[in-house]
Amino acid sequence: MAMLDTRSRVPLKPIASKNCDDPKIDYKEIDYLAKFLTPQAQIHSRKRSGFCAQCQRELKEAIKRARHLGLLPFVG
Amino acid sequence: MSKLYEGMFLLDNQVVRADWARAKSVVTDALQKHGAKVVTSRRWDERKLAYPIKGKRRATYLLTFFEIGGDGVNSMRRDFELDERVLRYLIIGSEALPEGELEKSQAELAEGFSVPTPPPDEEFVESEPEAPPAEEPAAEEMVPEAMAAAADGESAGERN
Repeated sequence: MAMLDTRSRVPLKPIASKNCDDPKIDYKEIDYLAKFLTPQAQIHSRKRSGFCAQCQRELKEAIKRARHLGLLPFVG
Repeated sequence: MSKLYEGMFLLDNQVVRADWARAKSVVTDALQKHGAKVVTSRRWDERKLAYPIKGKRRATYLLTFFEIGGDGVNSMRRDFELDERVLRYLIIGSEALPEGELEKSQAELAEGFSVPTPPPDEEFVESEPEAPPAEEPAAEEMVPEAMAAAADGESAGERN
């Protein structure tokens, strides 16, 4: 069986800037938060989002608040 | 000592269609009843919900900033839970009033301010189902065809 060529696979670019200085982590910024959801409406990992630990926690809280208010979906 | 809070409330569109000022007062009156000082309150958006809430697919959002001290927030939560006109609410602490919030709120107090009428909740009409009798003649016709096909198959088998 042929081995998978992992060297040519390009890693996905993080979504957010490296400095975490984006002030838009707010439950009201739906267009911005939607970038950090998978097609199944799951929250992306830190590896994919590019956030530091603190910003990832803020992102998680903002997305969950938006879901509670019906601004973002839980599924799909 | 009072603290600044941010409150986002989902209002039923039927109440908003009747009268926006009355819909807004549902929330502001409840806040004032519990001793809160309403700093700003404005219509944030009217939109389709990501999932149905209490059977509704669309709602109007009201964003307010208010000051209250002590344990006032806990007592007002019960009122909002019981009121059917408030579909959901979110009350969080806020460090400072965001820029431009006061101006947007005061714009609603100006004369001639009107809120666009929320569109109806049902955006599509279900199509009528097809009439079942149309399928019966096709089913009856299929039986003789199936028998003929079976007869042909048997004859072909015999040849082999």
